[in-house]
Amino acid sequence: MLCVSSCFRATEEEQQAQSKKALKKQQKEAEKAAKKAEKQAKLVSVSFPDRELVRVQDLTPEKADQLIWLRARVHTSRAKGKQCFLVLRQQQFNVQALVAVGDRASKQMVKFAANITKESIIDVEASVRKVEQKIESCSQQDVELHVERIFVISQAEPRLPLQLEDAVRPDGEGEEEGRATVNQDTKLDNRVIDLRTTTSQAIFRLQSGVCQLFRDTLTQKGFVEIQTPKIISAASEGGANVFTVSYFKTSAYLAQSPQLYKQMCICADFDKVFCVGPVFRAEDSNTHRHLTEFVGLDIEMAFNYHYHEVIDSITDTMVQIFKGLRDNFQTEIQTVNKQFPSEPFKFLEPTLRLEYTEGVAMLREAGVEMGDEDDLSTPNEKLLGRLVKEKYDTDFYVLDKYPLAVRPFYTMPDPNNAKYSNSYDMFMRGEEILSGAQRIHDAQLLTERATHHQIDLEKIKSYIDSFRFGAPPHGGGGIGLERVCMLYLGLHNVRQTSMFPRDPKRLTP
Amino acid sequence: MPMYQVKPVSGDMEVDLPTCMYKLPSFHASHGSSGSPEHALQNGEVDPAVKALEARQDEIMRKLYELKAAVEGLAKTVTTPDADLDLTVSSSLSSSTTFKGTTDLDALLGKDLGALRDIVINANPAQPPLTLLVLHSLLCQRYRVLSTVHVHSSVTDVPPQLLSCLGPRHADSYARHMFQLGFTLIWKDVPKVQMKFSVQNMCPIEGEANVARFLFKLLAPYPSDPAAATLVDSWLDTAFFQLAEGSAKERAAVLRALNSALGRNPWLSGPEFSLADVACYCCVLQTGSAASTPANVQRWIKSCDNLGHFGPAKRLLQ
Repeated sequence: MLCVSSCFRATEEEQQAQSKKALKKQQKEAEKAAKKAEKQAKLVSVSFPDRELVRVQDLTPEKADQLIWLRARVHTSRAKGKQCFLVLRQQQFNVQALVAVGDRASKQMVKFAANITKESIIDVEASVRKVEQKIESCSQQDVELHVERIFVISQAEPRLPLQLEDAVRPDGEGEEEGRATVNQDTKLDNRVIDLRTTTSQAIFRLQSGVCQLFRDTLTQKGFVEIQTPKIISAASEGGANVFTVSYFKTSAYLAQSPQLYKQMCICADFDKVFCVGPVFRAEDSNTHRHLTEFVGLDIEMAFNYHYHEVIDSITDTMVQIFKGLRDNFQTEIQTVNKQFPSEPFKFLEPTLRLEYTEGVAMLREAGVEMGDEDDLSTPNEKLLGRLVKEKYDTDFYVLDKYPLAVRPFYTMPDPNNAKYSNSYDMFMRGEEILSGAQRIHDAQLLTERATHHQIDLEKIKSYIDSFRFGAPPHGGGGIGLERVCMLYLGLHNVRQTSMFPRDPKRLTP
Repeated sequence: MPMYQVKPVSGDMEVDLPTCMYKLPSFHASHGSSGSPEHALQNGEVDPAVKALEARQDEIMRKLYELKAAVEGLAKTVTTPDADLDLTVSSSLSSSTTFKGTTDLDALLGKDLGALRDIVINANPAQPPLTLLVLHSLLCQRYRVLSTVHVHSSVTDVPPQLLSCLGPRHADSYARHMFQLGFTLIWKDVPKVQMKFSVQNMCPIEGEANVARFLFKLLAPYPSDPAAATLVDSWLDTAFFQLAEGSAKERAAVLRALNSALGRNPWLSGPEFSLADVACYCCVLQTGSAASTPANVQRWIKSCDNLGHFGPAKRLLQ
């Protein structure tokens, strides 16, 4: 701004220059005001323009030279003199955008673009241009956007609690190049931002796919979806690991599993049921694979002659889920693998079924000492998983005929051998994902077994009562959605596959 | 299980015991004097002699089972229709088809750890291993074999006849421990046929020829005469390398060699049917030119057909 000092006789030139500068200043302020107005306009649903927004994933060379509108987040912005490079991100996809001083953009606009904070949501009108050299760092590698108009829809605060590019960096790479990676607690504390990363988007899309495939496969097999109550009056299995809630003048418990109600549905002639719902376990285990609340996918079905019909049904469902993921979610699997590399998941169809004695024999051959009726410890389970992987090349298998002594009281004993039971566990990558069995459907035998396990019969009276009026032979099992996703993708912590995880130390977000 | 009783041969009679030897208390008398044998059982103890007897009984039952399987195998071959068979061949038929010589599963596969001994074979569905299917059916005649077929996640489409190539599901397949041997065939994207058995003690075996050698040893030992054993081996390699994988010229040369060998003997390695015949038959069948082979080879093919073991292989090629 020119300082017009006490100069009484300003020359005409000086006057002209003064007015030119004033004019420019006025122009600038007008632009600023206009921009501010447009920005504020976007905060309110003032008008409904007939404008189509193109998705970033659809930006391909076919759209070259088209003028399009697009809404995305600012992933990064970098100004260099008369140009500003932006990377615009939409879920797993991103594209490079260029704001350059020219006939469509002014210097102020370039400065404005460079100052937009990261993670702000913006609308751009831009023309799509093909590029000769592939842009390696973006998902859309063959095109870039030349921006003509740019508006901020929702501004983000300038200081982000974590940087998304740090959150997506593989751990090893961070250490090598001295760049930051974000540790899990920070990610979980700022889950909203962490979930925006390409990896998280891929993980939860895959998880949604698992749920969808589970429902679709079972519905095709004639199963009915049921919803079971989660506030229950009596702790079902052990009593030690349940949460208590105050229930008006008494207390109640949060359901540890939908077991009792699944079985009651079978006794109520629903034949084949499944349910998807939360499961609450008050286990003070701070491990990589335990949560206090998780999503349980549970199956129960009546069978005709042999409980292997149940195993076949469950394993076929799992195989259909694996096939569906293998065939339809490769993009998501590759995205996760970029940050967390792992071996692809292998399985056999029909699923491999080994007997418990075979598993024990394989472990003994490998040098493990254990008794015939001992339960498998977690390290032994992992070792057995490795041995099975080496011999059969499968990450998923069933171990059948567990010893009766290590199973819950409602497990049906093996009629041919009293030491064993009609029960089974299923493993993915050597970790247990399902524990199931044929259930005792005879009230008297159930009472005997409960007494043998020293369970208070009064507490399970209604459970036993459901079998008194004709119950079909039945069996089933349940899996944890988070654990299955974690193991399928080869991740190492179940909190990565739980959107807002709950464990003994975490209650928020 | 009750055993049959024999009436005492000798009644009560005086026996002059020799005095030059030392005396032992009478085994039978002491039993009677301490009361009935049930007394021992009432204390909750089982007489060790009874246990030993039970063990012997189990052993005898097992041997009987194996004998029964062998006899059944023999019966099958004797009743096979063989109207076109040469007289020179028929004499060797009854002795050759149920491979002579005893084999001990424990010696070949390692100590029985009380669970199913499962042989895992990985094969590519584009090149089904016919020889192994034939050996599988021979194994089923010899032992109680639990056969299963799986498709690995590395392949997507497997034609249905490959899924049922090991025959129908055994009625007892719900109880794996009731079988002596497991035969698990996995259709997988592998370059060569691969066999795995004991992950701790054995490395994987690769190549259809080598797996065939291993499986054959479960049926009968190799001929003890090294010359005969080498002959079998050389035919095996010829079949897999030159007949199955060779050019048209190589195949023609092999067929000529087969023709001259079969001119001298009814079977490839001499008077008896052997692994060489199994392998060469399967490879000739796979080349698809069975009809245009020389005369001796045609005759030999007919003899093999009459044995009835090659059903599974032929069904697969249809």
